[in-house]
Amino acid sequence: MMMANNIRPEPPAKTGERLLDVRGLTIEIETRSGPATIVDGIDLHVDKGETLGIVGESGCGKSLTMLSMMRLLPNKIKVTKGEANFAGRDLQKMSNSDLRKVRGGDVGFIFQDPMTSLNPVMRIGQQLAEPLIYHRGMSKADARKRAGELLKLVGIPGAEDRLDAYPHELSGGMRQRVMIAIGLACNPQLLIADEPTTALDVTIQAQIVDLVKDLRDKLGMSVVWITHDLALIAGLVDRINVLYAGTVVEDAPVDALFANPSHPYTQGLLASIPKLSDERSTRLSSIGGTPPEPGRRPKGCPFAPRCPLAEAICHERVPSLEGLGQNGAHRVACFVAQRKLEAA
Amino acid sequence: MSVVPMTTTPIEIEPPVSLWRDAWHRLRRNKLAVFGLAVVVILAFTALLGPYLTPYDFLSQDLNSRNLGPSLSHLFGTDDLGRDVFSRVVYGTRTAFLVAIVVTFIAVVIGVTLGALAGFFGGWLDRIVMWLTDMTMSIPNLLLVVVINASLKTPIASWMESRYLATLNPFYRETIWVDFLLVFGSMALISWPPYARLVRAQVLSIRSRPYITAAQALGLTNRIILMRYVVPNALGPLIVAVSAGLGTAMVLESAFSFLGVGVNPPTPSWGNMISDGLRVWQHYPHLLAAPAAVLGLASVAFSFLGDGLNDALNPRGAK
Ligand SMILES: Nc1ncnc2c1ncn2[C@@H]1O[C@H](COP(=O)(O)OP(=O)(O)OP(=O)(O)O)[C@@H](O)[C@H]1O
Ligand code: SF4
Ligand SMILES: [Mg+2]
Repeated sequence: MMMANNIRPEPPAKTGERLLDVRGLTIEIETRSGPATIVDGIDLHVDKGETLGIVGESGCGKSLTMLSMMRLLPNKIKVTKGEANFAGRDLQKMSNSDLRKVRGGDVGFIFQDPMTSLNPVMRIGQQLAEPLIYHRGMSKADARKRAGELLKLVGIPGAEDRLDAYPHELSGGMRQRVMIAIGLACNPQLLIADEPTTALDVTIQAQIVDLVKDLRDKLGMSVVWITHDLALIAGLVDRINVLYAGTVVEDAPVDALFANPSHPYTQGLLASIPKLSDERSTRLSSIGGTPPEPGRRPKGCPFAPRCPLAEAICHERVPSLEGLGQNGAHRVACFVAQRKLEAA
Repeated sequence: MSVVPMTTTPIEIEPPVSLWRDAWHRLRRNKLAVFGLAVVVILAFTALLGPYLTPYDFLSQDLNSRNLGPSLSHLFGTDDLGRDVFSRVVYGTRTAFLVAIVVTFIAVVIGVTLGALAGFFGGWLDRIVMWLTDMTMSIPNLLLVVVINASLKTPIASWMESRYLATLNPFYRETIWVDFLLVFGSMALISWPPYARLVRAQVLSIRSRPYITAAQALGLTNRIILMRYVVPNALGPLIVAVSAGLGTAMVLESAFSFLGVGVNPPTPSWGNMISDGLRVWQHYPHLLAAPAAVLGLASVAFSFLGDGLNDALNPRGAK
């Protein structure tokens, strides 16, 4: 497989120290017929210097999980259980003013839609300067100078001249670079990139991936990269979490995942890669059906209604995420996959 | 890459001056808007200073020079009581601006407050405000004003009179204030709903825009987000609406005065001058033409200015 060979020459040093540790995070939405679970007790972790890829169909809760960690959920959507520890501190319990220092200061965000995530009536130089002034106490002049450096860093031609541009004066790819620059402004320890390339065309997508890879290696930060597109991030990430209906169904080092995809959903995802890049479709054409709607989650394994391998037990009990193999680095939440491995 | 010094004291951030400067540049390139702005400025100065500069008092009658056509000594001629029409139009400008500014101010305060509360809190508050808005908008304006005038004018006037008799305070003898009070009140009452709707819609839509979440994700405080992300994005449409609303209020005041439910003679208003002029226009067309032309000019100027501001304050649509 093409992307499996696409290995980084020198993976960044990993200390094995947890930077982000999300445990049992549950997100519910208020609906007319009562609360409905969108994300169901998700566990995630990112080590220092590590790059985690999160993949899954549209609507499986990728964005909400990231937003909820930073307490950025829209009205009516609430975290009801669980914790999200960043550098050892629970973000869910932190005071608002402490949290504001983490937001933008320690954790940078790059959002899904570069067209609407920039303030349309503020020049991009000012938008870049804002976190520098606020978090780093820079003077306006210093912040502006640094904003110019950041634009240069993300490869915007004529960076200094672009500081006075409004978002509408830039192309989609350029705006996404501006968003990356804003996310990186305060040298965060963690960069969360939520499908930063979906709105862009294929060549620019690859450029953005290379850019983030480059910057990560230079700055030594951890990255969470959310995407539909496994092939795109194969060369970027260390580890992949596959999300389905608000739970992690498979967690594996990137090579192990491509070599030995164990969850039936992951297998479906991989099988549909060519179609994904052709049609840029977000649906899994090789797996029939659609994910469960919030509030209509099946009783057992959430994937059971669509699973070609489903057995009686799958409709009764929820499989937990358990380690395969000797070191347990490859984990899967599937009764059949776990049994197969035990038998082997 | 240089590592920036670690200080976390937030510092005061100034309002986005550049946005307004840019809007001004864009406005200046729009010829119609510049025309509108020029007319509005001239009219505003006329309203402010005009009555001190006119050659005649707007009330002084000269029965020897009645119904004269325009001439050098009477630019717009004289009316049937020999009053200088130019002076009356100038004073009518003051009436028009006074009514328009006060009415628009009251309407904006009511509208922005109710609209922002409704948009921000939603729920039952939103439903009540929207119900009030719909109610007010569904009553024909003229009907409401006539009813208010008919039902309140006499009681207020007689209350004023009884106060005057009791206190002998000359303030209570000035019935012109009753006039203005009723005009302000009734017009403000029918003018606030569009502002409430506009602001509610603005707050609702801006609150859920991705750039607000993005600003929160940068750790900015609510105050900065409100001042630099929400307000500037909401202000454009409001300024546009206010500019157009001032023009509408002037036309409305004239309409009511024309119909006799607004500012009453002898206080000059374009509307009651048009009404007087209409009776004799075949013989003395200048009596109709002068106030009507100025009213038309003012109305057109405000609408050009409103459109120009709309384009200027909205860099997204600018080319
Ligand atoms: N503001 C909202 N109001 C109501 N429901 C929402 C809202 N945002 C998300 N949801 C619901 O929550 C679920 C998860 O949404 P989320 O945005 O996290 O998905 P996602 O995995 O990021 O999808 P995508 O790949 O399309 O970005 C979806 O089913 C969606 O319908
Ligand atoms: S647990 Fe059962 S239903 Fe769920 S993925 Fe595995 S085989 Fe399919
Ligand atoms: Mg998303």
